[in-house]
Amino acid sequence: MRNRLISAAAAMAAMLVLAPASRGQGAAKPGSVPDISGVWQVTKFQPKLFPNGGAPLTAWGAAKLKAANPETNDPNLGCLPEGIPRFMFVPLPMEIFQVASRVVIIREGTQAMRQIYMNRGHRDDLYPTYSGDSVGKWEGNTLVVDTIGFNDKTWIDSSGLPHSEKMHVVERIRRVDHDTLVDDVTVEDPMAYTKPFTVQQAYKLKPGWEIQELVCTENNKYTYQGNEGTK
Amino acid sequence: MRIRLAAVIAAVLVLMLAGSVFAHHATASYNMTQSSTVKGTVTNFEWTNPHAYIYLDVKDAKGTTEKWTVELGTIGMLSRAGWKRDTVKPGDEITATGNPAKDGRPLMRFEKLVFANGRELTSEVQ
Repeated sequence: MRNRLISAAAAMAAMLVLAPASRGQGAAKPGSVPDISGVWQVTKFQPKLFPNGGAPLTAWGAAKLKAANPETNDPNLGCLPEGIPRFMFVPLPMEIFQVASRVVIIREGTQAMRQIYMNRGHRDDLYPTYSGDSVGKWEGNTLVVDTIGFNDKTWIDSSGLPHSEKMHVVERIRRVDHDTLVDDVTVEDPMAYTKPFTVQQAYKLKPGWEIQELVCTENNKYTYQGNEGTK
Repeated sequence: MRIRLAAVIAAVLVLMLAGSVFAHHATASYNMTQSSTVKGTVTNFEWTNPHAYIYLDVKDAKGTTEKWTVELGTIGMLSRAGWKRDTVKPGDEITATGNPAKDGRPLMRFEKLVFANGRELTSEVQ
């Protein structure tokens, strides 16, 4: 307990001393773009984006959701990446770094990382990936992120909300106050959903937290039964 | 009446605790509306990802030993809650409380434990 008090006091002192310099340090030129850097943790974990049901699923999407079994075929069980957008809902801390060409987010958990390219549009040679291809631009104080190029191997949430390779995700990320970040995530996927839907994830700044190592395959006792388990 | 009230309070506490713990997929195998408690001797503490595990030998009334497993969260989050890899050691006598496995195996998802000296541990992060 005493050690924790001492570390907390040291962290606070470090924060006060370093705060003016650390914000924007190593990032894009201070003052030129909004600063969303730092370690952030979800304020409320949302395992089900539609806790009372009501996701606007197509027949294809509904069949996929019905076949999803969190105990057997959640890709998470096999330490596979969450992909976008589920990466942004995971209740493990993420650290945002900003450089001129990119916003890079490293997230605790299977050494997870996403890159948002700020200096280009979507590539024309994309092949399907877990995270897709994310490009971003600033609209005022909001980072607008557009992602396409997904494979269909991930779930959108822990209940098994599905998506196809056609999924298109738009995120609006903004720092509403010093300690609060919000990501409004809009999912559009005509194969899985009859209309786009938007969910919001809020995060709290965690000064002093460092992203820890998390080697998921070190001692994973769960078995991912793969998509065969959905038949 | 008193027993029912206690059960309701326990259920509410379980739901409150469950909401504050971070595991995502890992709740699927557990009955999140129940709490079980077992008392035994730690045989091993695996300080690993993606989950840490406490193994304990639990003796029932007849003296039969049942081997229990308690699943905790990631070691990154445990360390933020003040845990270290020797916070629990083989030989420790503990009372462990958690959400029981749906299939009835001697397995639970950690909620809290109490050492023999009365010290209580959760994995709450400040």
